[in-house]
Formats: sequence, structure tokens, C-alpha cells
Amino acid sequence: MNSKQRIVSIMLRGGILACAWAVIAAAPALAVAADNTPPPAAPAPAAAAPGADAVAATSAPPAGAAASPGAPLPDAPAADFKTLDQEVQSMKKDVIDLNKDLFVLQEELLFPANTQVAVYVSMDVGAFFALDSVTLKIDNKEVKNYLYTAREAEALLKGGVQEIYLGNLKVGKHELVAFFTGKGPVEREYKRGATLTFDKGVGAKYLELKITDRVTKHQPEFKIKDWD
Amino acid sequence: MSKTLFACGFALGALLAVAAPGVATPAALPTLIGKEAPDFVLKSMDGKNLRLSEYRGQVVLVNFWARWAGDSRQEMPALDRINATYHRAGLVVLGVSVDEDLRRAHEFAEAMKVGYPILFDTTSNIGRDYLLQKMPMTILVDRSGVVRYANIGFKRGDDRAYLDKIRELLRE
Repeated sequence: MNSKQRIVSIMLRGGILACAWAVIAAAPALAVAADNTPPPAAPAPAAAAPGADAVAATSAPPAGAAASPGAPLPDAPAADFKTLDQEVQSMKKDVIDLNKDLFVLQEELLFPANTQVAVYVSMDVGAFFALDSVTLKIDNKEVKNYLYTAREAEALLKGGVQEIYLGNLKVGKHELVAFFTGKGPVEREYKRGATLTFDKGVGAKYLELKITDRVTKHQPEFKIKDWD
Repeated sequence: MSKTLFACGFALGALLAVAAPGVATPAALPTLIGKEAPDFVLKSMDGKNLRLSEYRGQVVLVNFWARWAGDSRQEMPALDRINATYHRAGLVVLGVSVDEDLRRAHEFAEAMKVGYPILFDTTSNIGRDYLLQKMPMTILVDRSGVVRYANIGFKRGDDRAYLDKIRELLRE
């Protein structure tokens, strides 16, 4: 199925779901309205007296009416509710399926594999640097500014890798600049940058911002790694 | 894009369906009550970054204030007293300044001498997410991260209403 067909299919399914939803929403109101409608008056037997006629009409239904094939069965409302419940369940399933399709389509449309660029952050050791924030610029345009809480920084120190940015780029040369702020050695305010010029080809591009310790200089080191 | 298309289809279907007699849809109210509190991460006065979602499991009172809003001056000491009493019971109070002038907001916060964390939103993004219309505004977020109560402005007796709601949420 191509994209156009999928779009039309999604629109149709949305419309059908909306109609079904409206019908189901209106069902209880319609049922109440039907209950409130007075039933048509049964013809009184000609031989009976007027007083006995009234008693018979209120106390028991006429035998002919109960036996007629068109009369509703006593368990009919329960069966109706069961059917309605089944319809609701089936609609719920449809919504879940549709949501899944939408998610897949959204991923394909928003982040097509051939223009996708993903940037990750990792930390190694971190004895000389306590991470506070990362600012990302791609082609001189700020695309992300992320503040790290103590828990998030700790998770990175324990080996976690964070996807900080996911976006799209055209094929060609691009420049990524990352600014790292935090506390450096001896609790000093620390701000450093790292730059990488990379070629975006056909296919996804993965870049990693690596924060490591340079033990010989007692300083942190910031690198951008291009995962080809 | 796919969501927009789906929304178009849904809206079209809904329009057709609603056009039928006897079917009506309730208008949506512009409030956050009953919805998940929009997450934020902000720098606090002591330099730490705090994220709202990291307090999931606790009852959180978020007070949006501005130094130019006179009611904030009355509300903050009341919130400080509530924080002092209920912090150990699992309540977290966060003050969020929406002042654009960071330096003056810092000065104001220091002068108020409150014991709970004060955060600074200079971008106005959080104000937009929380539909802020008037200052101060206070919201209560339950243990599952859902906004359960909101109060715009502050007048005498509002702190009692906060206490009632806080006790109710702490019991859940």
C-alpha cells in the first residue's frame, strides 16, 4: 500500500469511527426516549365490563399480545446491551490497531530513515565533570537545550546512553556544535564546546557526544563520535 | 501529518454524525484538572535542576508566582508553613517564578526566605503549557502525576482549601 492509499484509508477509518462513536453515544438517549413513549392502547374486549376492562389492562398483558410473534422477548434488553458491549469492545480494538498504524506512519513520515539524524550522550567516569546542561546547534541553529537533574546525570555515569535529539537533515555537509556546562575540577563552573563537521549521506546518521576524563591533565574531555 | 489526516477524517465523520438530530457533544473546558501535569525541568535557586516527573509518587504543590503579583507575597509564607508541616508526610512544594527579570526574581525569592525550592522559568514555555492567565496560580498534582486542583490568585482562606485537598491527596 503506498502513502496516498494509507492516508485515504486512515481518513476513512477515522470518519467511520467517529460515526460509530456518535451512534453509540446517542444509543442510551434513544433508548430512554423509546421507553418514555407511551405504548399503543390495546383494543378492549367487547364483552367485558368497563370496570373490569381497566383492571385487566393494568394488571396483566392480554394473552393474545404475549403470544404474538412480533412482541419483544423479556430478555431482549439484555441481549441488546450485550451486542452493544461487543460493538464497543470491537471499536476499542479498532482504535488500538489504528493508533499503532498511525504511530508507524508518523515515524515514517516525520523521521524517514534516509534523512534521520540522531544524537546520543554518554559519560565515562566523570570524576572531573558534573554535567548540568547540553546545548546542541546544527548548522548554527539551536535544536536542543537539555537540563540534567542529579538523577539523570547519575544514570549517565552508570553507563546510560541518552538520545538527546532526533531530527531530519538533508544530504550534504553539516556542522554540529555541542556546548556542555557543569562543574569542572575543584567545583568550578565549566563550559566547553565540541564541533564536528559531518557528511550526511543517504541513510540514517548517528552521532555520539562523549564526555570522558583525561586523567593525565585532570580535565574532562568532550568528543563527538560519528557512528558510520 | 498522519495525525492531522486522522483528525480531519474524524472531524468530518463527527460533523456528519453530530448533524443528526438528538446528538450533542460537550464543549471542552480550558483547564488542566484531570489531565497529566505537563512535565518541566528548571534550574532552582541553589543551582540544581529539578524535574517535575521525578516526584511521581509524591503529592506536589506547584505555585507559579511573579514578584509583580501582590498576592504572591501573601501566598508564599502560607505555602512555607504548609511545606514545613506536610513535607515529611510526602508533600513536595515547588515555587516557579515566571518573571523575565531573573536577577530581580532571585532577589525577591531570597527576601521571602521560603524553605521549599524556587525554580525560574525565563522562557515562558511552562506558563503556556499550564495555561497561566493570572498570577499567582497554584496547582496540586497527585501521586500519579495528574492535576487535581487549581487555584488562581490568592485570598484569605485559600490556604485552608489547599490543606483540605493536600490531606485528601496524601491519604490516597
